[in-house]
Amino acid sequence: MSTLKLDHVTKAFDDGSEDIIAVDDLSMTIDDGEFLVLVGPSGCGKSTTLRMLAGLETITAGEIHLGDRVINDVKPKDRDVAMVFQSYALYPHMTVRENMNFGLEESTTLSDEEIRPLVTETAEMLGIDELLDRTPDELSGGQQQRVALGRAIVRDPEVFLMDEPLSNLDAKLRSDMRTELQQLQGELGTTTVYVTHDQTEAMTMGDRIAILNDGVLQQVATPLEAYHRPANRFVAGFIGDPSMNFFEMTVQDDRLVTEQFTYPLTRKLRDAVDDVSQVTFGVRPESIELTQATAAIDHESVEFIAEVSDEHSFETIVDVVEPMGNENTIHLSFSGADDATFVATIDGERELTPGQTVVAHIPESEIHLFDGETGLAVHNRLRDESEATESTM
Amino acid sequence: MSIHERASDGRQLLLYGVLVALIGFYLLPIEIGLMTSLKMNPLSTAPFLPPGLDGFTLEKWRQAFSQLANGLFNSLVLAIPATILSALLGSTAAYGLTTLNWRGQMPILVLFIAGIFIPYQAVLIPLSKFWAVYLPLDELLQTVWGLPMLEPYHGDLLALIISHVAYGIPITTLLFRTYYRNFSVEMIEAARLDGATPIRIYWRIILPLSVPMFAVTLIYQFTQVWNDLLFALVVVGPGEGAPVTVPLSQLGASLSEIGFGVRMAGAFIAALPTIVVYIMFGEQFAKGVAT
Amino acid sequence: MTDGGSAVSTDEPTLLSNVSDEFLGSLLFWLPPFLLMGFFVYGAIGWNFVISLTETSGFGGVDYSQLDIEQYTRAFGDPTFINATTNTFVLLITFTAVCLAIGLLLAIMMDRKLRFDNGFRTIYLLPMSLSFVVTAQFWLWMYNYDNGLINIIISSLGFSKYQWISNPDLVLSAVIFALVWQFSGYAMVVYLAGLRAIPQEQYEAARTDGANTLRLYQRVIIPQLKGATISASVVLMVFALKAFDFLYSLTGSYIPPKGSDILATMMVRQAFRINNQAYAAAIGIMLFALALAIITPYLTYQHRRGEL
Repeated sequence: MSTLKLDHVTKAFDDGSEDIIAVDDLSMTIDDGEFLVLVGPSGCGKSTTLRMLAGLETITAGEIHLGDRVINDVKPKDRDVAMVFQSYALYPHMTVRENMNFGLEESTTLSDEEIRPLVTETAEMLGIDELLDRTPDELSGGQQQRVALGRAIVRDPEVFLMDEPLSNLDAKLRSDMRTELQQLQGELGTTTVYVTHDQTEAMTMGDRIAILNDGVLQQVATPLEAYHRPANRFVAGFIGDPSMNFFEMTVQDDRLVTEQFTYPLTRKLRDAVDDVSQVTFGVRPESIELTQATAAIDHESVEFIAEVSDEHSFETIVDVVEPMGNENTIHLSFSGADDATFVATIDGERELTPGQTVVAHIPESEIHLFDGETGLAVHNRLRDESEATESTM
Repeated sequence: MSIHERASDGRQLLLYGVLVALIGFYLLPIEIGLMTSLKMNPLSTAPFLPPGLDGFTLEKWRQAFSQLANGLFNSLVLAIPATILSALLGSTAAYGLTTLNWRGQMPILVLFIAGIFIPYQAVLIPLSKFWAVYLPLDELLQTVWGLPMLEPYHGDLLALIISHVAYGIPITTLLFRTYYRNFSVEMIEAARLDGATPIRIYWRIILPLSVPMFAVTLIYQFTQVWNDLLFALVVVGPGEGAPVTVPLSQLGASLSEIGFGVRMAGAFIAALPTIVVYIMFGEQFAKGVAT
Repeated sequence: MTDGGSAVSTDEPTLLSNVSDEFLGSLLFWLPPFLLMGFFVYGAIGWNFVISLTETSGFGGVDYSQLDIEQYTRAFGDPTFINATTNTFVLLITFTAVCLAIGLLLAIMMDRKLRFDNGFRTIYLLPMSLSFVVTAQFWLWMYNYDNGLINIIISSLGFSKYQWISNPDLVLSAVIFALVWQFSGYAMVVYLAGLRAIPQEQYEAARTDGANTLRLYQRVIIPQLKGATISASVVLMVFALKAFDFLYSLTGSYIPPKGSDILATMMVRQAFRINNQAYAAAIGIMLFALALAIITPYLTYQHRRGEL
């Protein structure tokens, strides 16, 4: 069983006068065969966590279990983990075959005759069997990346640790490798911890993702869960591109109020914010519906009047339009208030021009509310009726 | 290259003119030495001119060689092992203090590096006392010197080899440290995760990758040891065991003009190995001194 | 299985055992060279210091029973010592300054898209690869009164010849000139590396800002060569302190030409010719102190820039 369990793991770096806490009381369990993505902004402690798992950093407090043994004091070479590094870290003076042999030669008692077919087989699986006699400087970045993977796979470890392995590839290759890596992991069924700062990788690759910030674990969840039901404001803002829009608002009677707009709440939502006076109001760009507010006398103007009369619709002005092809990213501000801007995405075929007045409809079913002080979610958007009750935890 | 724009043709020409004149400045003393060594009478023509047709001779080279041959041999016996040993020890020290990371290595490293700048006058008396009184290898290893091909004065040479290794370690450590600092940390970590011990990592990763730096260090250190006079005088002194710099400094000690032919020839003979090394590996030498 | 509480208590031993693991693993590599080097460098300096406090004269046993600083007070009343000290400083400062100036000029000239720049560099650096003993022979001939090239040039210009080596007023300058010849190429190599590390854009930016060549170097380039200047000066000063070999070879004896005695030659003479070992040891310690005064700021500077 290759279940990895982190139990109140803390890492403090001694920086001369004071300790810097890189990872703070982190607990989570990574199941046998699971693909877990550790994601967060740079400096959040995700790489430190990975390096503690590898044994490259000491653990200040807490325990790491692999299967049923505590591996805190186990040396890296005795942990049976393999790591893929961002720089690939290939041995430049060795051929691809020698690179892949190295780990087996150093960590096992296998003879050369036993190692040879293992390496060949792994290389074939990765499509690098043609390259076995070349040295790393004769390979492209993508090929080096495969060799780095092959070097880890051939050792057949209990756990793969990957530290931003795709970040040195160009965009096209990166998205191909995402898919391939995921398939490969599925076939091998090896427990994998994958560190990235790229939330696209996090969303598309992981069985679950663990979001870290400032050394503190924010949420462990499936990608969709983290997207639709973020545990707190940080996760809500970090996952999703463009990010969720946030407004700091005050609860007044059964409305949320800020300088720019007022958002009435229905009974059920009002109950959710009963205990808080300050909330962060969040809405994803794709949840905002924009309607053209033309003054022309046609059927749209009728709609326009109808929309504004809706209490969850607001008159806004288009600041910037960023065409992305399949969709347009629209930067908007409330009429008469330049300082509060927000972002909406609309279909790529719809054309809006800067300066234009549009009506933004923010459906109540789509909004997230976070405690203004703690940042914890007090209400998440409704995906379907069955979730409505749990989501307000 | 730092300047894209080329100067105008006239200025470019002037620049080359100055640089070529400087070649004259740097080569002239050497060229004059060479010409003088080939003349029957050093005064027959102006110093920088080649000998006349009937004034050419290799006699001065022959004389100088017969006086220096023994010293040349001693210098080889001294410089080759001293160079290799100090390069090897510098490499392991740099590995233990750079690639392997541990707390508190800075003070140790500072002691290594400060050793580069020690004026040897501060250690000469203890050094000579140590080898002469406390560890006189020529006496202690008498059975060894009884072996064929070996003489007691090889004990002095052995002492000199050990001294040069000891005082060479600081600079070789610095050279290798500068090199090892640029090694990828991730590569070493990958090797650790692959199950290699520090010794295996040194043997299989660091050492093979150090070949270019070994070239630089060996060349630099060979030049240093070969060229040294002070330690040779103090540890060995004039006599059978003396490296070539000692007899060269005494060669034709009279200032008579006639003696200069032999002197110049001797200077070339003594400098030949370093000049050959320099011409073959000038690039590495430049790298060594620039560090 | 342990609970969360006891996990914290394993903290200290974990940290210690892992640190000492790395430490123990590294010992094998650096300790043997450290012991060898430490014994001969720092052990010898310590021993030398103790000898400098005694009255030892020649070889044989040293009487350590009475230690005092008499050798040091003696030095400051000794005109030979004062004279050697003065010469040492003159040599140190003049030699270093001239080498740096020539090296910088050469480097600036070389730092243009030149053909054969490696060839030029090889030749300028060639003298440095030669032994002091060898270059001393060359310069003895160059400075020869009747037939040396220097006097030939001077007399062909209509001036009278000089006794470059045997005139005590001239010999130090002559020696410095020869040493500059030998080591200015080194300063050039260091400066050239510094110049080539400066990004091209800075030249272009300064040009765009309207700076002429002189101003460009004065205000943009030379200030950035501070690091190169410091490293080169320290190394040059150390070479100057080792000029013993050169001066010894000029006469082939422990007595250098009159007027060129420096602390390095005086120390060796006192130790191995006049047999004033304790006095020589004291001079050695003072030379060491001088070197320390030069390298301590340098190493601190390097350490602060993270270049150690």
